[in-house]
Amino acid sequence: MSQKNRRLPAGIAALTAALALSACTGGGGGAEQAEADSEGPQTVTVWHYFAEDAQVELMEAYKEKFEEAHDSVTVENVYVPYDQMNSRLVNAAGAGEGPDVAVFNGAETSILALGGALLPLDQYWQEFDDAELISESVLHTVDDEMYAVQGYVNLLGLWYNAEILDEIGVEPPTTMQELEEAMAAAEEAGYRGITLSGLPNSQGEWQAYPFFTEEGFSYEDPDETALSAALSRVETWVDEGWLSQEAVNWDQTVPFQEFSAGQTAFAVNGNWQRGNAAADADFEYGVVPLPLSETGQVYLGGEGQALGANSQNPELAWQYLQETYLDPEGQLMALEIVGSLPSRSDAAQDELVTEDEILAPFSQTVEQYGATYPDSVVPAEAVGDLQVTMAQAWSAVIGKQKSPEEAASDATDALEDLLD
Amino acid sequence: MALPLAGEQPAAQATTVQHGPSAASSAPRRRGTRGGSSSRRYLIFLLPAAVFMAVFAVFPLLQLAWISLHDVTQRTLNAPDWEFAGLANYIRGFSAGESLPAVTRTLTVVFIVTAGGMILGLTSAIALRTRGRWSACLLAVMVFVWALPPVVNGSVWKFLLAENGLVNTVLTALGSPRPVPFLYDPQWALISVACVAAFAVIPFNALVFRAALMTIPPEVFEAAAVDGASRFQEIRYIMLPAVKGTTLVLLVLTVVYGFRSFDFIYVMTFGGPGTATATLPFLGYLQAFNRYDYGLGSATSFLAVAGVFLLAGLYAWSIRREEKQG
Repeated sequence: MSQKNRRLPAGIAALTAALALSACTGGGGGAEQAEADSEGPQTVTVWHYFAEDAQVELMEAYKEKFEEAHDSVTVENVYVPYDQMNSRLVNAAGAGEGPDVAVFNGAETSILALGGALLPLDQYWQEFDDAELISESVLHTVDDEMYAVQGYVNLLGLWYNAEILDEIGVEPPTTMQELEEAMAAAEEAGYRGITLSGLPNSQGEWQAYPFFTEEGFSYEDPDETALSAALSRVETWVDEGWLSQEAVNWDQTVPFQEFSAGQTAFAVNGNWQRGNAAADADFEYGVVPLPLSETGQVYLGGEGQALGANSQNPELAWQYLQETYLDPEGQLMALEIVGSLPSRSDAAQDELVTEDEILAPFSQTVEQYGATYPDSVVPAEAVGDLQVTMAQAWSAVIGKQKSPEEAASDATDALEDLLD
Repeated sequence: MALPLAGEQPAAQATTVQHGPSAASSAPRRRGTRGGSSSRRYLIFLLPAAVFMAVFAVFPLLQLAWISLHDVTQRTLNAPDWEFAGLANYIRGFSAGESLPAVTRTLTVVFIVTAGGMILGLTSAIALRTRGRWSACLLAVMVFVWALPPVVNGSVWKFLLAENGLVNTVLTALGSPRPVPFLYDPQWALISVACVAAFAVIPFNALVFRAALMTIPPEVFEAAAVDGASRFQEIRYIMLPAVKGTTLVLLVLTVVYGFRSFDFIYVMTFGGPGTATATLPFLGYLQAFNRYDYGLGSATSFLAVAGVFLLAGLYAWSIRREEKQG
């Protein structure tokens, strides 16, 4: 039954979004730029969801870099909470508003592109001289149009507290069995085994994915038994006291803070924590690739950068991206400040990457376990739903709401519809 | 001296009531003109509130109902037309097994919030009935707690109830063998967020109850003391009857407050572990803004709105009844 209806005009959502956004942005970059001529003062509004010190510092560094190169331009960085970013961008697009540049979870490009919040980049990309230096795995395409690019790659590794490992007499693990033996020894010595995120949102799915695929699970052929085995493993970690059940309340920031406190042997966390580790951890630490099997995969994530659909000056906004995120110097700034891996092949060869003890294991992970995020078999419209479904299964087992078998059965049933 | 003083209020009210007819009978023509003019003036005063309500309450609700009857996803949200889906979104919510457990969780939260908020609100009001420095200080603290934004309040409680938080530290010092899983056990998490929501509503309820208690003339308590009434008898036979009308109104308001439980859940558990604290409003949020199925999310949210509507109707009825009795 397909009956077309005239939608209620404009909508209060648009009105409230406009009010909320004007409160956040102080008027919005688009409106300000409309008033500015090409020689007058101009503003590039950048929406991001960074709350960690190092990531905020990078945004400020990019702002300074671009403003120094362009006297009449002001870059306005606007913080939007992570879980409100997508809905605000889509609502703003419906109201004819929005930022000039959006920095968001690259895996959710399809959600924003389908919602009409982003401007296709194909034309700009064709004219970009260094396009061939950027890996195709960080270009986000929806319905054959390119909407976002990543200036860097973020991924998960296994952080370890070298002092605890020395004390219990184990080496950094290379297999899951070694990891579990090390966690058992750490727990016996009075330490916590591991920290990770079990939050029932996209962050939970991002963290769970390596452990799902470790057991042979894939979205191409969702196997309930493999998923159940993966969930059983994490349930055991909780039962043994290696992983706190409280992980269900933690986003990815909190577990690293717990690790940095020095009482936990391992942390499943990303390269972007490099700056925070240097600042907060007063003990020896290191990183190794997650000790996965041959089937194991680690998402190659990171923030996507895109132009807002209603940017009044997309040329200037694209210039901002070219001179910050896509610029070799800009990518090395991200590397030095945050620890993000450059997406340009020339910047990736810099000795800052190849000789860095923390980043080298992440580079190794890219080659060994790197996987497209999100999986290309997931339909664009199902990305958000799939992430929540899998994260809820992960969270339900860690939090003891469901048994691994029940959670795996419910999740695979849901996946049948989502992947259809 | 006391009794005449106590009788002054009804007398004053009677004078006021008599004044209208008396003025009307002495100047019938002027009444007609003035009455029509003043009622129009009332309408003008009502207009800003009415416009505000229409734009920020009625229209969004209509929009919500409209979306719930259509297939709206991130692909079609900003499209000019939406495909009509009838009740498919409502049916899908229940057939997927999400809505019914969410209704149960919502009712659990409503029960805890209402019971805790009403009983502790009244208890606090009775304790704070007397005027004094300590009473004033405590009242100020309660108003502060009441005025705290839920995000701040929830974040503070999230720290307090964490595995290594203050509450568990105290419990461990008192001999608890292991931390209480306030926010990460499915049963405890639902109870905890409901208790925090109840805690947040106690100040408001206490202030309203206290206002009702303060209308009891002190001579009534003096007479009760002369008659040898115990403290319990004062509460049972003087205070509880005095707040009866207020209780009904406050009960409805507290139930509505519990029914729209969202903010504390969002801050403290994000609906987890798994879906253990996903009440109807939170489930609606999750479906609309994390799964981007706006039609399904609107249907779930509209169920919550329907519940609130029912209670709002009950509230309006109870207010009118109390006014008539008053």
